Amino acid sequence: MEKTVDLRGLVCPEPVLRTKKLLDDASVAKVEALVETEVNVNNLQRLANSLKLRFQSTAENDFFRVVLERPATASDTAGAAATHEHETAQTMQTIASNVGTVVFLPKDKFGDGDPEFSANLLNLFLQTLLQSGHKPRAVLLANTGIKLLDPDAPTLKVLNDLKDAGAEVLACGLCVEFYGLKGKIPTDQITNMFAICEFLMAADKVIQP
Amino acid sequence: MTDRPNAIPRKLTANVKAAGCAAKLSSAELSQVLHGLPRHECKELLTSIENFEDAAVYKLREDLAIIQTVDFFPPVVDDPYLYGQIAATNALSDVYAMGGRPLLALNILCFPTCDYPLDVVHEILRGGGDQVAAAGAVVAGGHSIQSSEPVYGLCVTGIISPKEVLTNGGARAGDRLVLCKPIGTGVGLLAIKAGLLSQAAEQALIKGMTTLSTSTLECARAYNLTAATDVTGFGLIGHLHEMAKGSQLTVRLNADAVPLLPEMLALAEQGFVPAGAYGNRKSFEQFTTYINDVDLSLSDLLFDPQTSGGLLLALDKSQVEDLLRSLKKVGIDAACIGEFLDGKSGVVEVVSYGKNS
Repeated sequence: MEKTVDLRGLVCPEPVLRTKKLLDDASVAKVEALVETEVNVNNLQRLANSLKLRFQSTAENDFFRVVLERPATASDTAGAAATHEHETAQTMQTIASNVGTVVFLPKDKFGDGDPEFSANLLNLFLQTLLQSGHKPRAVLLANTGIKLLDPDAPTLKVLNDLKDAGAEVLACGLCVEFYGLKGKIPTDQITNMFAICEFLMAADKVIQP
Repeated sequence: MTDRPNAIPRKLTANVKAAGCAAKLSSAELSQVLHGLPRHECKELLTSIENFEDAAVYKLREDLAIIQTVDFFPPVVDDPYLYGQIAATNALSDVYAMGGRPLLALNILCFPTCDYPLDVVHEILRGGGDQVAAAGAVVAGGHSIQSSEPVYGLCVTGIISPKEVLTNGGARAGDRLVLCKPIGTGVGLLAIKAGLLSQAAEQALIKGMTTLSTSTLECARAYNLTAATDVTGFGLIGHLHEMAKGSQLTVRLNADAVPLLPEMLALAEQGFVPAGAYGNRKSFEQFTTYINDVDLSLSDLLFDPQTSGGLLLALDKSQVEDLLRSLKKVGIDAACIGEFLDGKSGVVEVVSYGKNS
């Protein structure tokens, strides 16, 4: 079921409250809301994110047309492909809305000195980062950097600690395959070049030791 | 609070666009408005208007200064007595934030008497008066006019020894920051209007907004405070920025340690975020670093405008534990939320050290 509501002229919190109440009914698949202010749009975007809905906002002459839509489920005709597409879109939405610091590790060493020493330095860097109080949004691993997630790597623990602290720790899928670590790195931590590119472009700051 | 008879025909908050301190002009707007206005230098005036101090302090004698402040806003809740209490707590807070003691207060009232029965006004003034009395001060009079939207607040006069004035400035590198009330009232007031708060969360919100800072300051005075303010319309980050700027230091805020009113994080996540929080984000984001490393809902609360918010105190790190302990003894749940560092003046660096660091 689809609903269209005109929420113009209502003061906060009415626009977001009325939209939420419509969506509390599981049979409502899509709500199109007309709202007046950017604050209304921002609040509806937060509502959409919290309910994992697709979100779209278009500026009209003197108001905004906002659409909140439930994603297609796996049982729908489009099937798993649509769900995957939606998940990618959802990740992109998160990236677009709020990316702080991204740590980019395109090799398994810190600098170019003695190999063992340089590997230890990188481990020390990650430990220090974890203890610094700074919480990067994402740690992206590419090329030999993906070996840091090898189950036998000494860096696995600190990367998992960063993940537990809220960072997304993601490895480049192509690289995982090339270095033969497929099956050893959890699939939910494997990403593609598109996401890596988006993260790097959207970040407030990229740290590459 | 909820068992008080509420027989008014129209809800007090019915037409209010922005509640409480969320109704303030934004920091950016205020700067623009004040820009170019003549500034009257006066050696007796111990506070400077540029520092956005909580109240004006005027030296009368070497050992005596008066503190003058005024604060008012549209209704934040539908219960008129409670609204009066909250407005008075908020107005008195500015005197405490300068380190002083309130002596007398004058009511400021704008009210559409055609829209509400007169006993609503009576209840507002009773709520305000009771709170002023609880602070050990007196209501000495006031002024009222007709208006299309209700507005209530007070002008409060207090006293202090000039040597004991606590301003935004004065903190030293290494000093710790203690926040004496949980944050989230802007989100909370929206949620009350939406009817989404549990009874426990509503009580916590109201307790926060009606708790006078009298005993907090009394307790804290036993320690060597270096700076103080109260968290109001500019939100926690805005007031931290004012303190950092006043002290010409950087503030490092441990986002994990900031006490939050119950249920506010989930409500902010669902989009119950007041316009004032977006305004504060716009005004103060440029002074923050790493703000996007915390979740959006938490950063919304860090920017959330507070009504009758808590005192924010700076003191030597060696005294923090003792201060927190003595505040706990008088029932104040305070927390150490950060520290001052040498660094770029006015910057608020956001980190996440965990709850108890």
